[in-house]
Amino acid sequence: MNKNVRIFFSKTGRAIYISHLDLYRVFQRAVKRCKLPVWETQGFNPHIYITFALPLALGTEGICESLDTKLTEDISFEEICERLNSALPRDIRVISASEPVYKNTDIEKSEYEVNITADNAKLKEFFAQEKIITEKKTKKGISEIDLKPMIEIAEHSDGFIRLRLPSGTETNINANLVFEAFEKQYGVEIDLIRIKRTAVYCKNGEIFR
Amino acid sequence: MYKEKLDKILLKIQKPSRYIGGELNSVQKNPDDVTMRFAFCFPDTYDIGMSHLGMKILYSLINEVPEYWCERVFMPLPDMEEKMRENDILLYGLESLEPIKNSDFIGFTLQYELSYTNVLSMLDLAGLPVYSKDRPDLTPIVCAGGPCVCNAEPIADFVDLCILGEGEEVNLELMRLLEKCKAEGCTKHEFLVRASQIEGIYVPSLYDISYNDDGTVKAITPLENAPATVRKRIIKDFDKVYYPENFVVPFSAIVHDRAVVEVLRGCIRGCRFCQAGYLYRPFREKSIDTIEKETISLCETTGYDEVSLSSLSTSDYSEIETLLGRLTDYTDKESINLALPSMRIDRFSDELLQKIKSVRKSGLTFAPEAGTQRLRDVINKNITEENVLESCRIAFEGGYTSVKLYFMLGLPTETMEDMDGIKDLCDKIIDLWYTIPNRPKGKGIQISVSLSTFIPKPFTPFEFEPQPTEEEIDKKQKYLLDIINSKKVNISWSRYPFTILEAVLARGDRRLCDVIYKAWKKGCKLDGWSEYYRYDLWKEAFKECGIDVAFYANRKREYDEVMPWSHMDVLVSRDFFIAENKKAHSEAVTPNCREKCAGCGVNRCIGGKCFE
Ligand code: SF4
Repeated sequence: MNKNVRIFFSKTGRAIYISHLDLYRVFQRAVKRCKLPVWETQGFNPHIYITFALPLALGTEGICESLDTKLTEDISFEEICERLNSALPRDIRVISASEPVYKNTDIEKSEYEVNITADNAKLKEFFAQEKIITEKKTKKGISEIDLKPMIEIAEHSDGFIRLRLPSGTETNINANLVFEAFEKQYGVEIDLIRIKRTAVYCKNGEIFR
Repeated sequence: MYKEKLDKILLKIQKPSRYIGGELNSVQKNPDDVTMRFAFCFPDTYDIGMSHLGMKILYSLINEVPEYWCERVFMPLPDMEEKMRENDILLYGLESLEPIKNSDFIGFTLQYELSYTNVLSMLDLAGLPVYSKDRPDLTPIVCAGGPCVCNAEPIADFVDLCILGEGEEVNLELMRLLEKCKAEGCTKHEFLVRASQIEGIYVPSLYDISYNDDGTVKAITPLENAPATVRKRIIKDFDKVYYPENFVVPFSAIVHDRAVVEVLRGCIRGCRFCQAGYLYRPFREKSIDTIEKETISLCETTGYDEVSLSSLSTSDYSEIETLLGRLTDYTDKESINLALPSMRIDRFSDELLQKIKSVRKSGLTFAPEAGTQRLRDVINKNITEENVLESCRIAFEGGYTSVKLYFMLGLPTETMEDMDGIKDLCDKIIDLWYTIPNRPKGKGIQISVSLSTFIPKPFTPFEFEPQPTEEEIDKKQKYLLDIINSKKVNISWSRYPFTILEAVLARGDRRLCDVIYKAWKKGCKLDGWSEYYRYDLWKEAFKECGIDVAFYANRKREYDEVMPWSHMDVLVSRDFFIAENKKAHSEAVTPNCREKCAGCGVNRCIGGKCFE
């Protein structure tokens, strides 16, 4: 039997410096450690099947990160969580496991909470511009993009911003990109910034489950 | 706690996860609940240090004591160091993210001489004076261990004490003593005097060194009741020695990213250039049950899918076939790769070879070290041409297409004929390849020849020998490049500026401390890394201190010379080294310890015989 499982986890504290590539290895070893019967891909170089819904930028916290996997035995969702948590580093915690509802391709955007020490008036001005032009690294090289139509500000007070940005296979904008653009434009360095992904939404407006 | 400060800089740093700790199995304790804190420093980068077995053992050993806390500390690369200095971040432990200057112990493990300037860098980054005499307080006590402390003289002015030999027991004894001394309100000096009475502890400041007019050491005089010779510590019951149940598992890939189980300590071989072969005597093995238990436990607690057996010469394990049979039963079942680095396969049965597929995966390497049987006899390297060819045959038949050969240039009594011998061996391997009927089709054979330079190390029969000069080595390298012109052979060699510094630092006395200080002040650090190594600055430092490199590296030493390390006792006698040196010059071999005891003297400390 194959049991499809979607696992939601948090990546906070010291774990925010684990790169996306290394994160796969962290889970692979955790699976091995807690002896979770995860399905292995077939072929010349078999490896356990784990895919992440979305990459999380280095340095960004996440409390609704998710990965999909397949188990070869029927193990309760509760037990999956318990076993993984006993085998993962402290700052990666499994929050829940469930049957996947949406497809990864249904994802449209992410919501971030940002704690920031920077000139708030300038930040307000920055977000109010007609266009926010910046450079983005893509597979083809560096290209210029306008961030303005992509940024949805949900809340903005002194030192705190809640915003939504496109996520998913087509367009994916990391929150740092926005604040790097701010730094570049004003020639300043943000003293302290803490970014946390707090929700992932699908095209139909629902929370990704 | 520096977490917040680090959050500000880490995204600007290469591979930040190595500077933040928090890995699986790393140990967190409440600072209020601990009485002793030990900052275990590896004077090189995280990627290298985290592969080191000794550190893993002592880290777990100390942390097993509930009221002691051991943390890991590594050398930051220049990008990180710069940001740390800009932001007033002192060198910190990866567990607490707190400055290590508040620890009770700052302990360095010295694995290679080229890491000495890193010790100074790390002390300085920690916000401490680098000279021991400029640190008057009782804590932190700066100590050093590892193979290099068999001659700690070049760093004698910087460290407060050294630990000679195996640290598993003595580290805790030392910590208990400091705990006591702290409670009694002792001074640092009082503590050091008491520590010097523990077997295996060397306190450099308690020895006075005088010199002859020709620059050699005249006398080493102990002060304040310190022992005349410091005896190396060894673990007698090696099968019962502490071994960690788990390893810290790094987030990013490091050099040796796998579980490691130590199967034996010491070496029966007695290669005359090999310091480790003498430093780690006597030969001791763990039982198969112990090794199996440790393998399973480590694999289960780390989730690693590779485990490697570690020792100076794993093929010499007395029941190697049974051991590998038992281990493969487990590793096959769990799809774990069993790695056997530099293992001699010529004596294995076909059945076993079938089982240990991993031997095939981890590459085929040999270290004949010398090109002719004559020179191999001089250095007592018991590998014959037949051994090499037989192993190659087995490997080629098993689908191998490349071989790596290690040689050393500049060995005592070496001539150009020995260079020709290197070429001959390569030719024979190539010829052999064409005789293998089922050799992999469509592929050629590739031989890599790696040439290092002989370094006469303390506590070897060659400690009296000079290191060859740059001209001699150059001549031999050029000659080899000239005569070996097959496209199937690929030659690489070590660079002399590294070798000469290693030789000087390995054989030096206390007068080198100031050279190291000067070199470091000029910006030398990470000397083991070719991109950071600045031999020009080292040369300046030697010149300014009036120190002649050749006096230390290229001078032949007499049998009766007082060596800078003469007050260290690694349990192998000086007389034995002299006898072995004479035998080398008459091209006589010494049988391995299992065949016949050569009387090196180490057995007197384990009460009788090394082998039953
Ligand atoms: S005492 Fe004899 S058997 Fe033991 S290490 Fe020395 S030479 Fe080898």
